[in-house]
Amino acid sequence: MVNTDGQLYTIEGFAAGLIMLMTAYLVVNATSVYTAGDTHISDMQLEALGSDALTMMGTNVSLLTTSPLESTLEYVIDNPSSVPNATFKAVFLNLTNHRTGKPIDYNKIDSTMDYIHFNASYTCRDLTNNNITSYPISYSRNLTGGEHTVRATKWVIVNKGSVTAPFCGSTTKQYRAVLVEVLLWRD
Amino acid sequence: MARLNDDAQWIILMGFLVSFSFFFLAIIINQSTVVGQTTAESVIEFPKNDIRDTRQVIGETVNIPYPDNITVQKDITVLSMNRKSSVVDYSNFTAGNATYIKIHYNNGVTEYNENWSYL
Repeated sequence: MVNTDGQLYTIEGFAAGLIMLMTAYLVVNATSVYTAGDTHISDMQLEALGSDALTMMGTNVSLLTTSPLESTLEYVIDNPSSVPNATFKAVFLNLTNHRTGKPIDYNKIDSTMDYIHFNASYTCRDLTNNNITSYPISYSRNLTGGEHTVRATKWVIVNKGSVTAPFCGSTTKQYRAVLVEVLLWRD
Repeated sequence: MARLNDDAQWIILMGFLVSFSFFFLAIIINQSTVVGQTTAESVIEFPKNDIRDTRQVIGETVNIPYPDNITVQKDITVLSMNRKSSVVDYSNFTAGNATYIKIHYNNGVTEYNENWSYL
C-alpha cells in the first residue's frame, strides 16, 4: 500500500544531497578557475625579465668601454647583412633563459625544450627627411603572428660615423639616440 | 504522517555548520585566484622601466657636446612619441658651475616630472 510516512525524510535527504552537491561543486571549481589575472601576471614577469636583460646588456663595465648592447648595435649598423646577429642572440637568450639543470640547445630547431624567444630591432630617426625607421638586430625564431608577445625597450646612445652604410641618414660621426625594442614570448 | 523525533538535532546542526564552513572556505579560495590580477595590471600599466630608462638616457646626454646634444634631444622626443606614444621633453643647461636638468614624461596614463641640479 502507498502511504505518506516517509515524505519528510525524503525531503530532508534531497536537501542534504543538494547542499553536498553545491559544496562539492564550489570546492572543486574554486581552485581551477583561470582568470584574466593569470595572463597578466606572466606578462608582467616576462616584461620585467626582458627589461632587466636589456639593462644588463646596456650597462658597460667601465667608462672606457662600450656596453655589449652598444658594441653589438654598432656592429649591426656597419654590417646589416649580419642579421640575425649571433652575439646578441647568444647573450640575450642566455640572460633570459638561465635555469638549473641541463643546458638548453637553442640551435636545435625541433627541440622539445621550451624557452623564451625574442625578436629585437632598433629604431632611429633619419636626419635628412625626419623619417622613423626600424631595423632588425636579431631574432631566435621568426614571428608567425600567433605569439602572445610583450615588449621591452632600451635607449642607447651611439657615437658613430658609419663607414659602409649611412647610420640614421648620416655618414659623419655623431652622437645619436636609438631605441632598442625587443619582443619576447614564451614558446 | 511521518512521526518526527528530535533525538539527532545536534548532529544535524553540526552537519549544517560543517557544510557552511566549507561554503565560506570555498568563497575564500575562489577569491585567491584573482589576487594577483590587480597587482599585475597596475604593474604593467605603470611605466616604471620606461621612466627609469628615460632618466638614464637623459643623464647620459649631459656629456654630449653642443651640436650633437640638440640632435639627440630631438631623437629622444620624436622616437618616444612614435614608438612609445609618450611625450618626453627635457632640457639641461649649465649656469655658472651648476648643471640643471628638467625632465617631463607623460604617456597618457602616468605623468612624471623631475627637476634637479648639481654642481
